[in-house]
Amino acid sequence: MFNDLRVSAFLATRSIQRGGRGRNAMYIIIIALVLTNMIFLPSVIMGAMDVYYEQTIDYISSDVIIKPPEDVRYIDDVETLLATVNRVPGVVRASARYPMAGSIDFEDKNVAMKIDAFDPRDETEVTLFHKHIKDGDFLGSGDRDQIIIGSLVAGEKDDTGEFYASLGGATVGDSVSVRYANGVVREYRIKGIINTKSYQADYMVFVTKDEMDAVTGPGGAQATEVLVKTISNEDAPLVKKRILEFGVGENVKTWEEALPDVVSESIESFAIINMISVFGGLVIAVVLIFIMTTIKTFNNRKQIGILKAIGLKKSIIINSYVMQVIFICLIGAIVGSLLLGAMVLTFTTYPIEFPDGNVTPIVTWAMIVENTALLFISSAIAGFIPAWRVTNEGILEAIRGG
Amino acid sequence: MDEYIKVGDLRKRYTMGTLEVSAVDGVTFSVRKGEFMGIMGSSGSGKSTLLHMLGLLDPPTKGTIAIDDKDVISLSESEKGMFRLSRFGFIFQDYALVPELTAEENVSLVAMARGEGPESYSRRSRQLLSQVGLGDRMAHLPSELSGGEQQRVAIARALINTPEILFADEPCANLDSTNSRAVLDLFQTINQKMNLTVIMVSHENWHMEYFDRVIRLRDGKIHEDFRPEKTEAATSPLRL
Ligand SMILES: Nc1ncnc2c1ncn2[C@@H]1O[C@H](COP(=O)(O)OP(=O)(O)OP(=O)(O)O)[C@@H](O)[C@H]1O
Ligand SMILES: [Mg+2]
Repeated sequence: MFNDLRVSAFLATRSIQRGGRGRNAMYIIIIALVLTNMIFLPSVIMGAMDVYYEQTIDYISSDVIIKPPEDVRYIDDVETLLATVNRVPGVVRASARYPMAGSIDFEDKNVAMKIDAFDPRDETEVTLFHKHIKDGDFLGSGDRDQIIIGSLVAGEKDDTGEFYASLGGATVGDSVSVRYANGVVREYRIKGIINTKSYQADYMVFVTKDEMDAVTGPGGAQATEVLVKTISNEDAPLVKKRILEFGVGENVKTWEEALPDVVSESIESFAIINMISVFGGLVIAVVLIFIMTTIKTFNNRKQIGILKAIGLKKSIIINSYVMQVIFICLIGAIVGSLLLGAMVLTFTTYPIEFPDGNVTPIVTWAMIVENTALLFISSAIAGFIPAWRVTNEGILEAIRGG
Repeated sequence: MDEYIKVGDLRKRYTMGTLEVSAVDGVTFSVRKGEFMGIMGSSGSGKSTLLHMLGLLDPPTKGTIAIDDKDVISLSESEKGMFRLSRFGFIFQDYALVPELTAEENVSLVAMARGEGPESYSRRSRQLLSQVGLGDRMAHLPSELSGGEQQRVAIARALINTPEILFADEPCANLDSTNSRAVLDLFQTINQKMNLTVIMVSHENWHMEYFDRVIRLRDGKIHEDFRPEKTEAATSPLRL
């Protein structure tokens, strides 16, 4: 057995060394490109998803989000809930959101949207809005006649290119009038403009919880969600479990579970696109290897027949071709990985500028190993079949027909 | 040792549609150990078919072959392969050397397949190649050798596993008369010095001067079985 492999390896090595170097180089390059292609698109998609996930955690849901049970609109006794959650190990801080529907008037513009409220002291520990104020300042506790608005809400003077309705170029210091769903109307000075690059986050407006309490009237503002920041590197599901163990009866979800259905669905679509691209790459590799081995073995038919006549085992001959394929794939995988490395390095230095963030491709070892393994297996099979077919031909047919 | 190879009522029938061809049609003979036997006859008379059956490359439709009193027809495919690898040498009209292997490597390959160590096989391949007159061509690829030289590499390859029987199917068909003579001389030397049994197919009458014995086939049957008279021309100029 070992000796047979030695003979196969000998034949394979010599064939690679002396049989058409240019052609082998071409096969190697194609395999390298196939591998790069199999991994690059998914890595960009993963990079883009990562940007989205990060934005979701930074602005939308934080690490864990608590909502009222289904069919209930508001969280009952949010003060107690906040106190409880803040005691849970692994939690940095919890911040409640108190929204009310409304509409904003600025000059001749009007935008109908949700007005959100939070306690700025809590919020700065939970989300990153305070770090992404383009102009002006973040809300301070006790601010009553001030509002911060997302850059997409503020808009531009020339709003023809805008996708969302905006205030047409409201700036810091401008005064806007907000009409709440309960009929209360307030005048606010724009204290700051939020610019996070996240579509969702940049289409939000916030006032303080104190202000919302006053707007709501007796009983105070009602919370619809509590965002919970965990200490870094803490496992969100674990913290969620602990929160539940602390007796929280509300609907507790990790940021991942809280992703809207559209997102989960698009992730699925990405996965399908991914699979198609991987499959496409594999088909190219398989066809290439199949043709390569078919040509090689067919050209060597007579020689294979004579080696068999002499008494060389079929398996020795087949393995010598499979080994050549594996060698080409191995070198191709190495070249492909280097190519990928270079691409990732380039795009890390010069990220791809997507409208909602800078995307750097993410390549994991798992991706490389998985795709290389797939490539190896399918190529080995693609090489084995023609080698097996020619080798199984009758000795005399091979000798005569070569 | 008078009946080293014993062939009894050997037949090979091919059916092509409704047409039946008896390529070899009831052949009985035996071969002595160390005999240089020629199988002759016109084209289509069944020479190759007979040789292939003797060389265990093609199973007969009917009949018996015994080598050293051992029934070889009932061997399994892999046993036949082992038998060919260790006890037979083959030379065909086409040399069919492995194109990516040098002369030396082509010869070594067969010894390697039998499990021989690198030192031993490379020494012996070099020795054999020198003996067939290719001492200065060992590192050449087949594409860098003439037809006659390639055939001599094939002969060295056939001899590396010290076979008992050498089968050759028209080994000179692609060679000019000078090269043909060189090959035949080589066969004769091997036959005499190594006491190797040689069975060779040929349709050139002048080859007969090399053979100890000739079986002439006609329509798959033995037409003649005789020992040609030796002439001076057949004495070997090569030393082995
Ligand atoms: N695979 C096959 N199928 C059908 N008929 C065959 C096959 N092989 C050989 N034959 C027939 O058997 C007969 C003998 O063939 P064989 O090759 O043994 O002749 P040969 O004496 O070697 O001829 P040549 O000198 O031309 O090589 C021929 O009539 C040939 O057509
Ligand atoms: Mg023939």
